[in-house]
Amino acid sequence: MSNRTLTLMMGFVAVLILAVGVVFVVVLASSGGDDSSGATDDKPTPTRKTAGGICGGNVLIIPGDEPNTVLDPIQVGDVSTAEYVAEIFGGLVTLDLQLNVKPDIAEKWDISPDGKTYTFHLRQDVVFHNGRRVTADDFKYSLERAADPANASLQVLPYLGGIVGVKERFANKATEVKGVRVIDEKTLQIELEEPEDFFLAELTYPVAYVVDKEQIKTSPRNWTQKPNGTGPFRVAEFKAAERIRLVRNDRYHLGVAKVDEVIFELGGGSVSTRFENDEIHVAGVPLLQLDAVKAGNSPLSQFYKPQPEMSLSYIAFNVKQAPFDDPKVRQAFAMAVDYKNINENLFFNALRVADGVLPPEMPGYKESIAGYKYDPVKAKQLIAESKYAGKMPAITLKYSGAAGGGGDLLEALQADWQDVLGVTVDLQGIDPSAYLRERKKKTFQVLADGWIADYPDPENFIGKLFSGSSDLNVLNYANPDVDRLLDQARSERDRTKRLAMYNDAEQKILDDAVVIPQFWGVAHYLVKDCVKNWPSAPIPIPKYRYVEIDTTKK
Amino acid sequence: MAQEAALEADAAAVMRPSQSLTRRVMRQVVRKKLAMLAVAYLVVFYTAGIFAPLVAPHDPNQQDRAIEARLQGPSADHWFGTDRLGRDLLSRVIYAARTTILFTVAVSITGGLFLGLGLGLLAGYRGGWIDTLIMRVGEVLSGLPTLFIMLALTAAFRTRIDSLSQDLRDTWLGDDAKTLLQFTIIVGASVPFAWIGSSRVVRSQALYLREADFVVAAELMGASTWRVITRHILPGVMPLFIVGLTAGMAGIAGAEVALSFLGLGISPPTASFGTLIGDGAGVRTFQASPHLLLAASVPVILFFFAWNLLGDALVDILDPRMTPR
Amino acid sequence: MGPGLLAYTIRRVLWAIPVLFAISIIVFWVLRLAPGDPVDSLMGTRYNDETAAAVRKKYGYDEPVYIQYVKYMQNLSHGDLGVSTRHQGFTVSEVIWPKIKVSSQLGAMALVITFALGIPIGVYAALARGTFLDPLTISFWLALDAVPAFVVIPIAQYYLAVKMGWVGLGWEGVWSPNAILPVVIMSLPGVAGVARFMRASVISVMAEDYVRTARAKGLRERTIVITHITRNALLPMITVIGLSLPGITAGALFTEQYFGIPGIARESLAAVTAPDFDVVLALVLFGSTLFVIANIVIDVSYAIIDPRVRVGTRRG
Repeated sequence: MSNRTLTLMMGFVAVLILAVGVVFVVVLASSGGDDSSGATDDKPTPTRKTAGGICGGNVLIIPGDEPNTVLDPIQVGDVSTAEYVAEIFGGLVTLDLQLNVKPDIAEKWDISPDGKTYTFHLRQDVVFHNGRRVTADDFKYSLERAADPANASLQVLPYLGGIVGVKERFANKATEVKGVRVIDEKTLQIELEEPEDFFLAELTYPVAYVVDKEQIKTSPRNWTQKPNGTGPFRVAEFKAAERIRLVRNDRYHLGVAKVDEVIFELGGGSVSTRFENDEIHVAGVPLLQLDAVKAGNSPLSQFYKPQPEMSLSYIAFNVKQAPFDDPKVRQAFAMAVDYKNINENLFFNALRVADGVLPPEMPGYKESIAGYKYDPVKAKQLIAESKYAGKMPAITLKYSGAAGGGGDLLEALQADWQDVLGVTVDLQGIDPSAYLRERKKKTFQVLADGWIADYPDPENFIGKLFSGSSDLNVLNYANPDVDRLLDQARSERDRTKRLAMYNDAEQKILDDAVVIPQFWGVAHYLVKDCVKNWPSAPIPIPKYRYVEIDTTKK
Repeated sequence: MAQEAALEADAAAVMRPSQSLTRRVMRQVVRKKLAMLAVAYLVVFYTAGIFAPLVAPHDPNQQDRAIEARLQGPSADHWFGTDRLGRDLLSRVIYAARTTILFTVAVSITGGLFLGLGLGLLAGYRGGWIDTLIMRVGEVLSGLPTLFIMLALTAAFRTRIDSLSQDLRDTWLGDDAKTLLQFTIIVGASVPFAWIGSSRVVRSQALYLREADFVVAAELMGASTWRVITRHILPGVMPLFIVGLTAGMAGIAGAEVALSFLGLGISPPTASFGTLIGDGAGVRTFQASPHLLLAASVPVILFFFAWNLLGDALVDILDPRMTPR
Repeated sequence: MGPGLLAYTIRRVLWAIPVLFAISIIVFWVLRLAPGDPVDSLMGTRYNDETAAAVRKKYGYDEPVYIQYVKYMQNLSHGDLGVSTRHQGFTVSEVIWPKIKVSSQLGAMALVITFALGIPIGVYAALARGTFLDPLTISFWLALDAVPAFVVIPIAQYYLAVKMGWVGLGWEGVWSPNAILPVVIMSLPGVAGVARFMRASVISVMAEDYVRTARAKGLRERTIVITHITRNALLPMITVIGLSLPGITAGALFTEQYFGIPGIARESLAAVTAPDFDVVLALVLFGSTLFVIANIVIDVSYAIIDPRVRVGTRRG
């Protein structure tokens, strides 16, 4: 073979090797194209390597979760997506940092004496990001859009189902929502089927936010790339799985944000490392890494800021399944575990041991309410007195997920129940969707479960989880006394009386030991010194407009 | 082809004067030494795993949640240290070895022996359309993104085993029922991809032996197909088959470790290298307690390496014509 | 392309089609028949029957599985991959294409590094044949091959990012310094395979007549190695590209997870556990088709450049 031919063939091979690579990259990947990957503003993204580092500019850079839905308020169901939507959109009412219901687009409202009709008076100066003024018509459109069965919103029935006509519209038995009426351009009336004291709290949830019907009509597919909302920030860049960049809305009616931009980094590795490397302002720390971060010799320990969450983790019993149909067995299980000790030894005291159901941040929290205390002797005795003494059936505790940090706590419980009660509990991690199905079908014996509040009202905890008539009560639990209290509380208009009713109900529920409260949630954050007013909000509310960046600090 | 030529090259190399004899010997020694080390390690690994209850110094599930007992570094009492719940890591590693051994044996027997050897013999000896079918399907399967398909299959099946494992708990299987089912799932997901390599090797060797004089003679004398295969073809095929299996062993074991690491294989508290590594993986965890990751990963990495070395050496010694994997 | 080659190509394609169909049916059925569907996951703890019914209807999950399959295949034939349930409101195409783009760019870079390292190492090992350096070199890379990505990454991240502060862990796109570490980690395990193949290839070329002739002519050893041996030994390497693809995708799964790379491997893991039916199906089908085509293209092009290879018997 001549040298020339060889060279030729070599070139051919080289080209082919390259070509396979290029074909792989170009033809197959870019055919879908960039068009879907994001809308970008013309303003360039500021880099964190500019003078002064990330504290040198007026841009807040924080890690974020990839949104699970498009940025459409009626589709949002999870906390991380709700964070974004709460900053971009707004509704009739909103929550302040102390979680009080405050006016947003509605300036004030009247409630009819029977508590069923709410009349909202809208502000005149509220505009969408594009400058169009918000009217009562926009709200009617938005609420009816939420109830449209074609949109199949997961949130509309749980949050807005109490409005007259929403259920009919969702079942496609009506073409409009009767209970939402436009009185004039700046007055909106909403009629409820029955009085609900927490209705205003429900209205702060994204599903009740106002959207721009003109934008949705002109681009029904792509409007969520750059939604036209009324919130303190607007979307400048949305690159799936990479970055969401929000820029300040300079015409925001409740007080313009102090930072120019908030950048959510959706990708990237270990956040605490990026925090240490000055790549981001704030980092969440997973529970399992706390010992490394909180240790005195760690350079990160000075930045640690715990942040209470309005959530509870608990052990849930199915009160119709043996052996947990016997209250004595449930009480014994509750008394057999020393959560204080677990918190100290396994979690570096970073959690808050829950002795009741309602978290301390919740309106109506009462300190004196408590469940069963750790008492191994009494626990053993209760098991001996129970009807399953000596003939304990096989017990399986199910939890969501197969691996991970949650396992440590459960394996500790398993050991305690074995040691204190002599009862063997099998742990079974099942995949999330199967776990949810198990809850729904109520076939489990005992679950490791949890609840995060959607809005700050005890109804959301006590009413939703324990009422005999609630869809979300998975415990098969129905105590007539508790149900009566909850029914009364639902329609009681005096707030103090109402909260007292929830307190009574809570104590009865704890006495029945249908759940063992474990820990109230705490989020663990590292926050740079230059970030001022880092809001500690336990649920997603518009909060980044309060943040300031102090350029004199590092 | 490259590999046949490699053989000739070997012959040429011997005759080449520039190659000193000492050098050749040295090479062989290094090779053999490494292979011998590999074998020694594998013997230790398998002995420890098979006799886990006798070998393990502690109960792998015995917790000690006192702060000073948790996350201990290596010590005289706990050679590999302890984990977050104060369990002895060495004992957990030994039990994890057991999981790995069981898995590789199960896959080798079902995928390698039955499917690989069986289909390879069938294709090679029978030929015709059976041969075409087996080889073409194998060709397509071998070109697939194996791990993705395994992920999809295991994730889908895992959710369905719960009620079944409840039923099986009342049988003699007891609490092991669930682990066994999870095990079956990942074995089931691995097997469709585990037979291809070995069946190819077996087929080509069977194809070659089929034409050999002594086989033709046996056939002419009226020996049954079964007899021809077991007596004449199988002995000729076995060495190659073993080489192929050896070379693929690390890959099979690796699949279980990866799946368990992702939470789709064996669930805790049953020890598996995947979940043990998962406990220690993470930058901050590694910073705070490096022994979690090292104690779990070094034994299994050596296990993969030993099989790879052994495979490499066997390929060279037994049959230099075989394609390096 | 000669008639033999054309027939060979057609045969390969014809065999691939039924296998891909079988895979689509199996994966489709397995996904749909598992308890716990995407609607359960979506609704989470706030399940209610009316809403669930509306959502099932919206996604067509209320119909029998075989009808769903037929509809899915009909849509697929129009290029419609369906809708994602994990990312509500997005179509499957919107979810997967940007991520495939990222992953394939990283994967291609890793592939290039694998070959750039593996080829010289293989040549070196072959030339060192007969000395202890040959098995030692290969063993070293075999050892690297034995270390799973999910072990190497936390260690590398700790030493390079936390201790040394050399690399950032933020994701700034494919063309940024932060992408170097993940690409290198993805590329290293494959080096051993490429090097071994190259070694075998070089050894076989060394025995060819023209190399011996060149030696006999007294050409400089360097010239012989570069112009005669390496060049010819490179030819069969093209087939190794296809063999390297599965390894690289598997490595990408962990690399993307640890480095938070918005790639398709990370998405596929999330889609599998969610479960996100249409995304999983699209990925399995797309991935399989891509790999099958890549292998056919490679085999055929190898047969074109090296007519000595008899098609169809390469692997036999």
